[in-house]
Amino acid sequence: MLAFIVRRLLSGVVLIAVISFLAFTLLYAAGGDIARRILGENATAETVAKKTAELGLNRPLLAQYGDWLSSAVTGNLGRSWFNGELVSVSVSGRLSVTLSIVVGATLVSAILSILLGVLAARRGGVIDAGVQFLSLVGFAVPGFLIALLLVLVFAVNLGWFKATGYTPLTTSFSGWVASVVLPIVALSIGAIATVAQQVRGSVIDATSRDYVRTLRARGLSENSVIYRHVLRNAGGPALAVLAVQFVGLLGGAVIVEQIFAIPGMGQLSVRATTQGDIPVVMGLVIAFAIIVVVVNLLIDLAQAALNPKVRLS
Amino acid sequence: MFRWKATAALAVAAALVLTGCSGGGSGSEGSGSADRLTLTAIASPTSYDIGAGAEYGNRSPFFQAVFDTLLQKDSKGEIQPWLATAWEYNDDKTVLTLTLKDGVTFTDGTPLDASAVVASLERFRDGTSPQAATLAGKEFAAVDATTVTITQTAPDPSLVNLLSIAPGLIEAPSSFGNADVATNPIGSGPYILDTASSVTGTTYNYTANPDYWNKDAVKYQNLTINVLEDPTATLNAIRAGEANGAKIADNNTISEVEGAGWTIESNELDFQGLLLLDRAGTMAPQLADVKVRQAINMAFDREALLQSLQTGYGTVTEQVFPKTSVAYDESLDSTYPYDPAAAKKLLADAGYPNGFTLNMMSTPAFQQTFDLVAQQLSDIGITVNYTDPGTGNFITDMLAPKYPATWMALEQNPDWQLINFMIAPDATFNPFKYEDPKVDALISTIQTGSQAESDTAVKELNTYLVDQAWFAPFFRVQGTFATDANTNLEFWPTNAYPSIFDFSPKN
Repeated sequence: MLAFIVRRLLSGVVLIAVISFLAFTLLYAAGGDIARRILGENATAETVAKKTAELGLNRPLLAQYGDWLSSAVTGNLGRSWFNGELVSVSVSGRLSVTLSIVVGATLVSAILSILLGVLAARRGGVIDAGVQFLSLVGFAVPGFLIALLLVLVFAVNLGWFKATGYTPLTTSFSGWVASVVLPIVALSIGAIATVAQQVRGSVIDATSRDYVRTLRARGLSENSVIYRHVLRNAGGPALAVLAVQFVGLLGGAVIVEQIFAIPGMGQLSVRATTQGDIPVVMGLVIAFAIIVVVVNLLIDLAQAALNPKVRLS
Repeated sequence: MFRWKATAALAVAAALVLTGCSGGGSGSEGSGSADRLTLTAIASPTSYDIGAGAEYGNRSPFFQAVFDTLLQKDSKGEIQPWLATAWEYNDDKTVLTLTLKDGVTFTDGTPLDASAVVASLERFRDGTSPQAATLAGKEFAAVDATTVTITQTAPDPSLVNLLSIAPGLIEAPSSFGNADVATNPIGSGPYILDTASSVTGTTYNYTANPDYWNKDAVKYQNLTINVLEDPTATLNAIRAGEANGAKIADNNTISEVEGAGWTIESNELDFQGLLLLDRAGTMAPQLADVKVRQAINMAFDREALLQSLQTGYGTVTEQVFPKTSVAYDESLDSTYPYDPAAAKKLLADAGYPNGFTLNMMSTPAFQQTFDLVAQQLSDIGITVNYTDPGTGNFITDMLAPKYPATWMALEQNPDWQLINFMIAPDATFNPFKYEDPKVDALISTIQTGSQAESDTAVKELNTYLVDQAWFAPFFRVQGTFATDANTNLEFWPTNAYPSIFDFSPKN
């Protein structure tokens, strides 16, 4: 077990190193004149040249990556080229914001999709058709459109929630709730659609198995059969889908954070990438990679706990 | 089962909190009070260190909040005393002497005296801020505690104006060595940045400086500036009442902003049009002929362009000097009426009866503009061959220079800055270093002549440039700022963002 975790973490480190190099070189390929972008049209050629030298952008690509890597392994990710903030502060400050939304959306979608999936599988008929139809709609309507609608109705017209910005949990609980509910709803809908289908399929599949017939024959109540035994078996695939959804939600957060002007990692990614703010993009790439590695590891562990037949080897 | 109950309880609790919050929210808005002013901006400061990022334009409020400038522009655009109570040139205009206000301190308690001002000006001059070059070659000296001299080799008619914008910002020299100098500014300004509650790049919270020397000018106890890069987010913030003032980047949303009960304030600072850069014809020989440049000017239906590209918000123009300049002459704006037939004849006279091909740059963000430009030029026989230089290379390639002509949006500054920005032989936006003896002579008179001589020369220069068709401007774009029903604003005529001193609560 421990060996498994250590091996997974090590391969994660290698993955992060490869990704960081790819990100660095790709950013350079797409980069353009970064010093000019920082300074704008008012700067003279001399000022631009001075800035280029100051940032070390006139040195070979590999030398620049080497410098970045050697300071990154000591924990120093540098400062943003566009606002001077420490990258570690930028990224960690926005991590809690994005996690609030993405973890919230994952929980909401996990709970609702399991409920809807089981409901559809057990009741069948009109209810099943209804749930399937709703899933289809949730799957087909893009998240950003839902987000825009939610803002108009619940923030602008009704004034229940905030249309823009984010209030940290430490500042005000009600303010935090007002700023995260709409983004969570916007993000969850697509995920619920996908996972509910998965749960429905797994439950239907499991209920036709021999062990379920045996359990029923032994006189167990239907609720007990479904929630104690069937879901345990159907949970594995659903968890795997949820893990993929979680990573997908990180991507979805990019658009939702733009619409709600929420200072999370998504918004930071958009700004840093379009500006060519390499230190920040690198910090984000590493943070995202760590999250993905850790989430996958946790899902593997959770699946093992759920079903002893899944061995960690 | 227990877990479901807990979840239900949590949901009920959340609902209760929400109802409480929406009630409290509307009560505590209080946007009309003098407690807090909330603004939205479209850009955040690149660095609060004036040696690395001092800027005006859309970034001006961030710097104005925490730093003082030596001089100040009032809401009419006139220069007024500020940290410097008086200023005077010597006879040949090479030495400017400034008298400083006594007893001002920076927010870290260090004194703001002549030596601090000199250190700050030097930091700006020697740094990499966008306008750093405007102070190049100038020497600063502290004569006594409250007197500073600025010595230059030749007169600089823009210097006094510069001291009221980015180059005139004074930063505490005691903060130069701070590791967080880029994000934690130390100045003597009306507000102090609350770094704990601010999110760099997104939300900036300021509290009034308790020791400010000019308390009467500060009308709000707190200031918040939210950076909203997306026009839809700006519109949502306006509709939801989450701001008192907002920079409107997309003029197509003006009717919706007005629909929300907000007031529109506007000015015109930028012009859009073609820069006919290769006037000597080194890259595109056709452009050396003034008839060709004039024909290009006549190819454009400016009213139609303004209507389709800016929903009519702006004013058509054929000159690069702004309305606020003495050089501005309304009659010049009808020098080249839209007339494709006459333009074709001019091209034929110049020896191009079948037109020619012109290489220019395009960029996806302004695709509609590029399509219309190409279409109107093709109507007179000029085929445009566009190249997309790639993200982040548009200005670099323009100034390289890699193209003989280009579409561009440029800001219109006070005369001397404008001349050094796009007309003088070494101006940034004269990348082919094109020179004309008549232009050089006029520039020299503007620099060294008396006020009357300079005014006459700059008028003559403007007329000559239009006549020679150095540019093909289309229109000046309306710069728009909106305020809610509780806020008064007098919008600067000369900056993209209002002065924070020009906001006041109504009633």
